[in-house]
Amino acid sequence: MISLYLAERTWLHGIPAGWKLIALALISLAMTPLDNLPIMVALNVATLALYASLGRAAMAQIALLRPMWPLFAILLALHWWNGDIRLGLIVSLRILAMMLLANAVTMTTRMDAMMDAIEPVLTPLGWIGLSPRAVALAVAMMIRFVPLLFALWEALNEAYRARTGKRGGWRLLSAFCIQTLRLSHHTAEALAARGGAPRGPRR
Amino acid sequence: MSGAILFDNVSLKRGGREVLSGISLELTERRIGLIGNNGSGKSSLVRLLNGLLSPDTGRVNVHGLDVKDDVAELPRKVGFIFQNPDHQIIFPTVAEEVAFSLEQSGRTRREAAAEANAALARFDREAWAERPVHALSEGEKQLLCIIAVLVMEPAVLVLDEPFSSLDLPTRRRLERLIAGLPQQILMIAHEFDAYASYDRVIWLHEGCVQMDGQPDEVVGAYRAFAEASQ
Repeated sequence: MISLYLAERTWLHGIPAGWKLIALALISLAMTPLDNLPIMVALNVATLALYASLGRAAMAQIALLRPMWPLFAILLALHWWNGDIRLGLIVSLRILAMMLLANAVTMTTRMDAMMDAIEPVLTPLGWIGLSPRAVALAVAMMIRFVPLLFALWEALNEAYRARTGKRGGWRLLSAFCIQTLRLSHHTAEALAARGGAPRGPRR
Repeated sequence: MSGAILFDNVSLKRGGREVLSGISLELTERRIGLIGNNGSGKSSLVRLLNGLLSPDTGRVNVHGLDVKDDVAELPRKVGFIFQNPDHQIIFPTVAEEVAFSLEQSGRTRREAAAEANAALARFDREAWAERPVHALSEGEKQLLCIIAVLVMEPAVLVLDEPFSSLDLPTRRRLERLIAGLPQQILMIAHEFDAYASYDRVIWLHEGCVQMDGQPDEVVGAYRAFAEASQ
């Protein structure tokens, strides 16, 4: 099943979450104003090298980007239509590299370490009555449920194909939404059974 | 009264339909099974025990806690295992999942992590700590749910069809594990052989107690009823 966290420990697991997030932020900041094609290509090569150093499971995660290809195609087409395919390539490569780098952080960082690292940033939410712990829980649950939602989509698609012989595609959307709501209802009940969402600051 | 679950003339409506009517029970046995058709009120009955549902009339008392007045303390007293572990597991990795309830109850991060690891070790599953939960099998996920609930040392463990998606060997392993627990156990299951060593089985029918007694008697009567209604 598709996951956002790598089970096997890699060297990147050992780097503190805060450092990884800062590095990610600095690279994004540095890359945003640049429109130099060789640098973008180099950045992508370096990113792929990073994935290669994390092992086969990490390389397999690159396939997760498949749903993004249409977006890149649209970006390139728009820029080509504007007469600047080079800029289109730069923009696409920048997005690709940043997504891969962000994913590299997600798949090598445990959720609680991640939340510890960004909780200081969430503290102002407390001033408007939002518990940083509740936000942290919501983020953790999102990471947890992404693979489950992929599996749910696959199950619906399978059921559709078994009865029609065709891929479900967008036709599954309403069924998917209903199933997702049912799932969230069950999960809300399980969370309530364990005392509900956390209140107050983390200790 | 401590050590017992008391239902006193309890009725409950859901969506305009009466799902429980006038239930009175005193549950002091350590192993209690609940059987009955779908929609007979089993799930509603157990959901009264930890505040997921609240009775419309009557009172429910769980080991000294009133389910209406002491609702905030109930999750610590009553552990709940649902049918589908995927609906119950909240965190991406095993250690976080086990530590969650501990942090909820006021432990520091460090204490919770240490206790979570100790709990995994008690079940010989230290190696699971860093694993992503989706990489576990169905049986392993159900075991994780049980460990995550047991760290809170609840007095009562409620299991709502915990075996539905498990193969027979996995089910047997979990049954043995459950049998050895010190908690008072209330279990809904359609696999009646799981009740062989139970002290008491209650058969619910259309929101009322149809029969209440020794497992083989009650299960036998329910089987006969199910065959006759074909």
